[in-house]
Amino acid sequence: MKLVGIAGSVADKSYNRMLLKYIASHFSDQVDIELLDINDVPLFNQSDDQTNGDAVQYLNHKIMAADGVIIATPEHNHTITASLKSVIEWLSFNIHPLSGKPVMIVGASYYDQGSSRAQLNLRQILESPGVDAIVMPGNEFLLGDVKEAFDDNQNLKDDRTVSFLKETLTKFMKFVKVINTMNKPEDPGWEAEDLEAKGKVETTVEGVDMHAADWVEKAAEKTHAAEGDDYVKLDRGLLTVNQLNYFLNSMPIELTYADANNQFIYYNHFLEAKDMLASRTPGQAGNPMADCHPKRAIPHVKQVIHMLRSGQTDMFRLPVPGMGPDKYVMHYYKAMHDAQGEYKGINELVLDIMPMIQYYLKHTGQMLVKDPDADTDAVSGASTNVKPEKTDAVSGASSDAEPEKPTVDEVSGASADAEPAPKPTKPDVDEVSGASSNS
Amino acid sequence: MHKFVAIVGTNSDNSTNRKLLQFMQKHFAAQADIELVEIKGLPLFNKPENKQVPAAAQAIADKIDQADGVIISTPEYDHSAPAVLMNALEWLSYYIHPLADKPVMIIGASYGALGTSRAQEHLRQILDSPELRARIMPSSEFLLGHSLQAFDDDGNMIDQTKLAKLAGLFSDFETFVELTKKLNHANEANREEIHDLDWANL
Repeated sequence: MKLVGIAGSVADKSYNRMLLKYIASHFSDQVDIELLDINDVPLFNQSDDQTNGDAVQYLNHKIMAADGVIIATPEHNHTITASLKSVIEWLSFNIHPLSGKPVMIVGASYYDQGSSRAQLNLRQILESPGVDAIVMPGNEFLLGDVKEAFDDNQNLKDDRTVSFLKETLTKFMKFVKVINTMNKPEDPGWEAEDLEAKGKVETTVEGVDMHAADWVEKAAEKTHAAEGDDYVKLDRGLLTVNQLNYFLNSMPIELTYADANNQFIYYNHFLEAKDMLASRTPGQAGNPMADCHPKRAIPHVKQVIHMLRSGQTDMFRLPVPGMGPDKYVMHYYKAMHDAQGEYKGINELVLDIMPMIQYYLKHTGQMLVKDPDADTDAVSGASTNVKPEKTDAVSGASSDAEPEKPTVDEVSGASADAEPAPKPTKPDVDEVSGASSNS
Repeated sequence: MHKFVAIVGTNSDNSTNRKLLQFMQKHFAAQADIELVEIKGLPLFNKPENKQVPAAAQAIADKIDQADGVIISTPEYDHSAPAVLMNALEWLSYYIHPLADKPVMIIGASYGALGTSRAQEHLRQILDSPELRARIMPSSEFLLGHSLQAFDDDGNMIDQTKLAKLAGLFSDFETFVELTKKLNHANEANREEIHDLDWANL
């Protein structure tokens, strides 16, 4: 848990700053508290907007990134200081980093009142609509007679004060968790996945018909896309577009890129549709994902995308049998993210792993035998248990990576319900095995 | 004729609180001499060790000293008085005490419907603190809501009911100023107490 602390004073000597420093160091084994400096924040003036200045943005970023805020307020003239009020005014004018943020108030004062009025006032201010902070109720920590409160090492002298402070801080840490749970947006659920790709992401090419067979050409024209011998800088290297194509088209894997808007925007086109493990045709590129799946598969596709988008799993694995005993075709759906962790779409990899298995057996002098304890028929390509937790223990696609427990017919293999595969068209079900060949 | 200092409780270039005070200055010119005072430009209060108040704050303090009373018009930011007004009052109570026993009338204007009700309450609490101890006129709220629509092009208040209320309160304030002169039994003690106040050296 990461908290930030703000002392409501710009005086050179501040007991409230001392109190926060004490809290930060004394409880550093329990919580990480960073003290924020408000000295450079100008006095609020709505006619001279300094919201984008360094001092305000520094506070903005630190507060946004923190789980909660502790404010230590002095009391001047029965209220909080103008310097603290000014900070709050900046943070409630054109930006609102305190909105929904859990806040704990403490205060130190010279006199025995211990900032009681200022604390009440601060609550009222923090709860105003522009600020919209969520202040922990009760648990007033008032440190009166502050000049006598600290020893020479700036530690609180009184044990009972320390233990009350500890109790308050412990409660606040729980409060932070509760409030931040409350603040979490509701997961819209897999039903909300829009396979028609009606929304847009920053890379969506607008004004070009997604369904058009020449979407690639039109979209390339519109975006003045690099092509041929144009160079592209990559992480890590430099290739021309031609070189990129040589490279991707020589992969012994069928690769498909579906973006965060659920638009199918690329596949490595080195085989004709009829020769592919999961067939795609050039005209499909650009299609919304709904176009690429039979209707009955749509719920499963949505479930898989939602798991990847929401981070429930990073990779979903699916064996898609039905191509005879000589092939074992795997579909891997790998979530892609940018450097900030934002979801950028799915990399679908399709390959037949049987040649690898055969190669391995041949070169290590081994053979496959049936596991008497197995509950899957591993030999018949037609009978495959698609439960990820069983088929693939290493993958990281654990049982919670499963959208919905497929009903598996132990004899025949996967039932038709068991296929969440988002995948462009291909004929449906292998009537013999009961497992659809794909989708 | 009474002489009043009218503090514009904001540093904003466009302020209906300033407009309200300008209107009063003009409208009550036959009754009282009202001087508008701006608080923009005072440095942020930082409790200087040398106990020195900036010249601009001292100048305001001197004007208040010379006045029979003070009118403060406050906006409302975040359910309370603006930082810039709190800042001015911090300087005006830092080893100087121009507002002690000084009659004060609080008014306020806001764009919304509430007319600074909470900021006025807050300002009362501040002015009541030991280092300010102003004599605030009790039970006399003047809340000007929807202030952007309150004045015509010549700066005159449009709503006559509101204007009648303001005129009544202003006359009451003049009476209150005279009354306050009689509330003098504790003046000496107040002066002494406030003079001795020094939180830092308690």
